[in-house]
Amino acid sequence: MPAELANTETEQLEAYRAGVRAAATRAPDAGRGAGAGRRGVKLNTGYVLVAPYLVHLLIFFGYPLLFSLVLLFHRWDVVTPMEFVGLKNFVRLFQDDLFFRAILNTGLFLAIHIPLQILVALFFAELLNMRLKGRGLFRTIYFLPVVVSGVVVTILFQQLFSFDTGYINNVLTALGGERVPWLVSPVWAMPSIALMATWKNVGLYVILFLAGLQNIPEAMYEVADLEGANLWEKWWLVTLPMLNPMVVTVVVLSTIGGFSLFIEPYVLTGGGPLNSTLSGLLYIYNQAFSFNHMGYAATLGLFFALVIFVVVLLQRRFVETDFY
Amino acid sequence: MLFACLVFVVGCGRGETQEGDTGGPARLTYWSAPNPQERALAEELVARWNAVHPEVQVTVQALPAGQSSEEVLLAAIVAGTTPDLCSNIWPGILSDFVRSGGVLPLDAFPDFDSLMQARVPADLLESFRAADGHFYQIPWKTNPIMMLYNLGIFRDAGVAGPPRTYSEYLEAGEKITADVDGDGQRDRWMGYRDIRPIWWQRYFDYYPFYIAASSGQTLFDDGAVAIDTAASTIVLGFFRAVYARHYFPITTFQGNPMVAGKIATEFTGPWSLAWLEENAPPGFEYDYAPLPVPDDFTGPVYTYGDYKNIAIFSNTRHPEAAWAFARYLVSEEADLLLLEKARQIPVREGLLTDSTFAAFFAANPKMRPFAEQAPRTRGVDGVSSLQEVLDALAQQFEAAAVYGVTEPDKATARAIDRIRVINEWSH
Amino acid sequence: MKKTVAYSALVLGLVVFAYPFVWMVMASLKPELEIGDLALLPSRWTVENYTLVFESIPLGRAFLNSVLVVAAVTASVLVFGSMAGYALAKLRWRGREAVFNLILFTMMVPFLVMLIPLYTLIVRFGWTDSLLGLIIPFMMSATAVLILRQSFLAIPQDILDAARIDGCGEGRILFTIVWPLSIPALVTAGIITFVGNWNEVLWPLVVIRQEAWMTMPQMVTLFAVGGGANARLGPQLAAALLLALPVVVAYLFFQRHFISSLASTGLKG
Repeated sequence: MPAELANTETEQLEAYRAGVRAAATRAPDAGRGAGAGRRGVKLNTGYVLVAPYLVHLLIFFGYPLLFSLVLLFHRWDVVTPMEFVGLKNFVRLFQDDLFFRAILNTGLFLAIHIPLQILVALFFAELLNMRLKGRGLFRTIYFLPVVVSGVVVTILFQQLFSFDTGYINNVLTALGGERVPWLVSPVWAMPSIALMATWKNVGLYVILFLAGLQNIPEAMYEVADLEGANLWEKWWLVTLPMLNPMVVTVVVLSTIGGFSLFIEPYVLTGGGPLNSTLSGLLYIYNQAFSFNHMGYAATLGLFFALVIFVVVLLQRRFVETDFY
Repeated sequence: MLFACLVFVVGCGRGETQEGDTGGPARLTYWSAPNPQERALAEELVARWNAVHPEVQVTVQALPAGQSSEEVLLAAIVAGTTPDLCSNIWPGILSDFVRSGGVLPLDAFPDFDSLMQARVPADLLESFRAADGHFYQIPWKTNPIMMLYNLGIFRDAGVAGPPRTYSEYLEAGEKITADVDGDGQRDRWMGYRDIRPIWWQRYFDYYPFYIAASSGQTLFDDGAVAIDTAASTIVLGFFRAVYARHYFPITTFQGNPMVAGKIATEFTGPWSLAWLEENAPPGFEYDYAPLPVPDDFTGPVYTYGDYKNIAIFSNTRHPEAAWAFARYLVSEEADLLLLEKARQIPVREGLLTDSTFAAFFAANPKMRPFAEQAPRTRGVDGVSSLQEVLDALAQQFEAAAVYGVTEPDKATARAIDRIRVINEWSH
Repeated sequence: MKKTVAYSALVLGLVVFAYPFVWMVMASLKPELEIGDLALLPSRWTVENYTLVFESIPLGRAFLNSVLVVAAVTASVLVFGSMAGYALAKLRWRGREAVFNLILFTMMVPFLVMLIPLYTLIVRFGWTDSLLGLIIPFMMSATAVLILRQSFLAIPQDILDAARIDGCGEGRILFTIVWPLSIPALVTAGIITFVGNWNEVLWPLVVIRQEAWMTMPQMVTLFAVGGGANARLGPQLAAALLLALPVVVAYLFFQRHFISSLASTGLKG
């Protein structure tokens, strides 16, 4: 039963990834080889079927996108009319140390979160791939934090991380250790949040890696055995290269997820201590909805999106190694 | 498209909550603060009013809990869904409402002046005048921030009475902050502040202490930054000492550390009294005192008063009825209910001498310090970027005081620079 | 030996991932002062934290709001997403590639960029403080279109052609022939939409101010952040648990589908 299950997962994953790949290469011919629309299908049925989607897209994507471009050049506090300010928002952005601090903070978060996530996920994926009894239960539990709302997890960790009364510190002191200033020290706060985020998301990546591992043909290991490779060499020369596409997926997904870090610092630290957990999105939220700088916040948002885009491009370039 | 956007922003739609003038009673919607005490107060007031005013029937709604009232009201103005009147208007946001044309000038009502004269000292009233010279708010209640202290801990540590100056406060801190259960970790402190750099948290440390140290100055004068540098620096220096000597823990407490006996002092308003009476464990002894001041300080001690005022929104269909109800909200009857139900201080002259309220203060002696303090409170400046200004101060408070990484004078200078920039941005 | 080590590690993982939830359930049933204690079991079981939650906030109403929003969004995403996905996969029309690329492009623009302009649009339509503001902007999902299109591509053309010969319209083909063949993809798209939408906080925070229209995650967030519980921990944990409950129950019943669906797209759509 579990094996069969894993297969459907793998297939779906494969199908999805194939889809993404096809999409990435601009889907040269959707409906390929199927002779779509040969037999007198009315030409305009397609339009009718996509029309609702396109109308919606025009209103709820096109208009906001255009409007955000307009906002870039305006000052607007929601209450009073917009005022054209030329390039002032951009000038201000480049003088805004705090915003760059927020981007760097997000970078630090990713630098801790991604490697940690990959290591932990690989570890558990390898264990689950040993096809031991009861692995369905383990998988179910590991994945549980993924489905639970970030709010729940944040409230939970607010209690667990509390310096004086938190459960983790109580356990540490009971074991004779020192209390850890999880969220109240500028040095610890961001790593603590990264730890929490890893705890929440790692189950997803365990599943992704597990699917990747199950996809590696047994024959490749047999070949490695014939050539006298030891366990480590097999892992390094077969497993890792074969997993590479999955690693890329994981890196890209957690990067995009990591850049949208918001609710955790919003609830836990308010961006402190000393701005150490001020994330890009939290800063933009504050500018927009605490200080009512809609134009400026739109400018920050666009710039931030650009940063994400560039980072993801760079990651793809450096992580996606061609092994074959 | 741009034009269309402007139209929707400026031209607030009519609130859908109201009915047309088709005979029958005038119906008003009144928004109160969301906390349970004030909800109960508002319901009582409205019930009493509706019983005797069949021609003006009021419905009370609580502002949504959790989010700040300011955000909610601003959103309501933009969306055109404001109530007829609201008694939870923070003066710091009113300038935005005025600029958007969301509120009615109240001095247009003929009896505004006489009502105010009977209620508010002239200099205090003046501080609520809008930039255009009109008044858009009735000062309703003020919650002076004072020092709450745990008498039991004071006695236990051998501290005679509430500290009056910074030095006395620090001395008391030395005696009180300790490891009581002997596990090698401090577990009792002089006080505690939420250290998250959230702008409104500074209403409970930096800002009231600054007002006290500067004898009642606020941050702006006629729209220009006018921070008393010496006062700001000495306040930051005081909190820096408090944190450097570990009299305040750098932590995030869960639950209320005051009733848990973890801290000896807290800077808070009269609402804490109502809460303590309900939640404090038996035998918990406490009292209130004015905020500590610099050692060489003389004169009366001012503090921050969290004013909440009444405003009438411009899309009301019954301005006269709304005004009549607003007047009722500041009547003697209503003010007494405010004291009794919500334990908050109405803005009213002669509160302690008026016989109407004498019985209340006799039965609730702990409310007296607040009533005494109330005339010497300052609110916030009515500048539009106030939240961002306080955010800038919160950043410097965190750096100079909590973590001690910036010198207090430098932090003050940086805050002033930053506030200038903020001001330039907003105009 | 190897197995023992592996099992120990797996069980350690089990504790790490499950124990916080167990602790949370227990803590929410403890008297306030015992929450920080090491002992897992309370000295006295109590539901006062839960009663306090229901006394302070209309969580039932929020639950209803959330259910309405999620149901409407999911249904619409599946119906309209299938229509678009079908047109993109199985019909040939001028501009199809352009539309497909456009949809891909919308996926690349972060929601953040749209947040503020979209909010102003909602204000303009008068949908603040209304469920419409939570539903209508999310009635279409590019992710769902992508998943469904991918699945429809695999359906043999002959089946469709046969149906056309029998005189079926495209709409009927889609919903009576293609849908039954694409249940896994529909489930995947449905679950992703459901989970993402159920857990969404930022957008309701922006759009909804009145308690009557708040969604469950929003209300719980504000309850925890805004100290609606008079800074008591128990009610916060209780509220958080109530928020988690529907998704966890759904997850435990359909866990395979949840795992494969969410794994197929990463966290959110």
